[in-house]
Amino acid sequence: MSIVSAFLVHGSPLPYLRPDNPPWSRLAAGYRAAGRALVSSRPDTILIYSTQWVAVLDELWQARTALSGTHVDENWYEFGDLDYDIRIDQPVVEACVEGSKQLGISSKPVDYDQFPIDTGTIVANGYLNNRGSIPLVIAANNMYHSWDETYQIAAMAAQTADRLGRRVAVVGVGGLSGTIFRHDIDVREDGIASPSDDEWNKRMLTALERGDAQAARDMVPEYAESARVDMGFKHFAWIMGALDGRFHGARIHAYGAVYGSGAAVVEFRH
Amino acid sequence: MANGEILSGFLAPHPPHLVYAENPPQNEPRSEGGWEQLRWAYEKVRESIDELKPDVLMVHSPHWMTQLGHHVLGVRHLSGKSVDPIFPNLFRYTYDLEVDVDLAEACAEEANGMGLLSKVMRNPNFRVDYGTITTLHLARPQWDIPVVGFSANNSPYYLNTEEGLDEMDKLGRATRRALERTGRRAVLLASVTMSHLHYREEPELPEDMHFERPFNHDSYRWDMRMIDLMREGRMKEVFTLLPQFIDETFAEFKAGAFTWMFAAMDYPELAGELYGFGNVIGTGNAVMEWNLAKAGVSRINGNGHAATPARPDSHQPSAADDVAPANDWASAGPRVYGEGGPPAGGGR
Repeated sequence: MSIVSAFLVHGSPLPYLRPDNPPWSRLAAGYRAAGRALVSSRPDTILIYSTQWVAVLDELWQARTALSGTHVDENWYEFGDLDYDIRIDQPVVEACVEGSKQLGISSKPVDYDQFPIDTGTIVANGYLNNRGSIPLVIAANNMYHSWDETYQIAAMAAQTADRLGRRVAVVGVGGLSGTIFRHDIDVREDGIASPSDDEWNKRMLTALERGDAQAARDMVPEYAESARVDMGFKHFAWIMGALDGRFHGARIHAYGAVYGSGAAVVEFRH
Repeated sequence: MANGEILSGFLAPHPPHLVYAENPPQNEPRSEGGWEQLRWAYEKVRESIDELKPDVLMVHSPHWMTQLGHHVLGVRHLSGKSVDPIFPNLFRYTYDLEVDVDLAEACAEEANGMGLLSKVMRNPNFRVDYGTITTLHLARPQWDIPVVGFSANNSPYYLNTEEGLDEMDKLGRATRRALERTGRRAVLLASVTMSHLHYREEPELPEDMHFERPFNHDSYRWDMRMIDLMREGRMKEVFTLLPQFIDETFAEFKAGAFTWMFAAMDYPELAGELYGFGNVIGTGNAVMEWNLAKAGVSRINGNGHAATPARPDSHQPSAADDVAPANDWASAGPRVYGEGGPPAGGGR
């Protein structure tokens, strides 16, 4: 399997748009470090899954050759606009659509002008692939897909890219604990919303750091429920599927809060 | 103090299929038609709005989902192309709309004054969500009446149904005060579907109507029960049953538009007129009107009671208050998927 690097990253636009804000600057710096690591791994393509691209009918795959424009986040529009310029690895996408069907998962390519690219994908691509030179394979988060289905789709995508001769970076985009502040805060004093959430996030990150894949997997249901983890932590299922369930450790480039919720930048050793 | 009016309120669901089926010039995809009963129902909405001649159309959409507060469009002119992220094959619509910014600001001020967090969206590059666009097109395709567009704060999903709908009630009352203050004559549009369980695969020809039917018998019965109460004007009962209806059918009413609208109208115990009902990928959609002008209760006076309030004194607790449904895709809360996968249904 030609996975050359793997990352679990958050998809909040806040550190991206305001990297000068002290609580967010560490996350921004960590993301930049992960970007350097990804580029140095020399991937031909990046397999990316963002919890913020939500699908309900099929497994959707972005199939438009080139995507560029300006996106405004529906929550954080006051912090600025997100420009994007993305290339798609079409042969891998086409093969993944077929591969999904072979798994028994209804699947469709998406090839439409001005299709709304999600904030998480734009932020991850902006940090990890800031020259836009590496083509992406972008898969949607179907709300009805389980952890296992997400794992299977990722495994299929990694095998498909390998079969087509690609060196692959795999990226799962999503948050950690999901409790946010529901009132205006001074963003200079942002922090994890509760000590319990903070403790849960650290437990999970410690398991990842140790390379204890089974412990991390076993922890997911309770972690997801106790800390309101973004989409049940399915972005981790995406990484685990692509890595065939194994990694030897992880480097935590950054951990912090975005408006109370947990965010991290993690690079896996595999 | 100016005297505003709420001329009418509509239950105005937003399946993009209806715009697709109509083939308006603004929408790129072409269809062979379909969902005629719902589209004919919207013809009645259009006729009514023609007669009412409102100053403004106000719409609350569950597809502008916000985490931090209740937002309102606050840029005078917004235009662009709205592509539905779920049904991009059906809805790629070029829109161009005018916002009543003064009224939007008044709504946000009143909401903040009532203890909610409300924000005015002032980014000119903002793309208006497809729920807002679809409902507005179906209600008034000429786009010649200014609009006010509200986001759906995720509180009913993030907190619980009761707390969330209490926030929507406050937002509705704030809207009423803002209308009173500005003297606007408004039509309100609650952009929501009733039962919200849906099929998970689309027919090859989306408008092939022989696939269209209720998702299940229970959802259908719930929809009919609620519509029957609404047609009889038994709105207190509707609001008493609302949490159970939401819980058992995953009704999109949970997102708050219906409660917002009725709070703004001061919960009139008034019979609604059903213009049509239809299923779209299995969801239940009713197009209904509560015409306050015709009933003589449209004017908002100083203390603002239009008719006998319908809202029950206290909500009945429901299972929906404790647990966000595992297959409710709009929920921003935790979601743990079992080995067998989530049950079918839930979205849109």
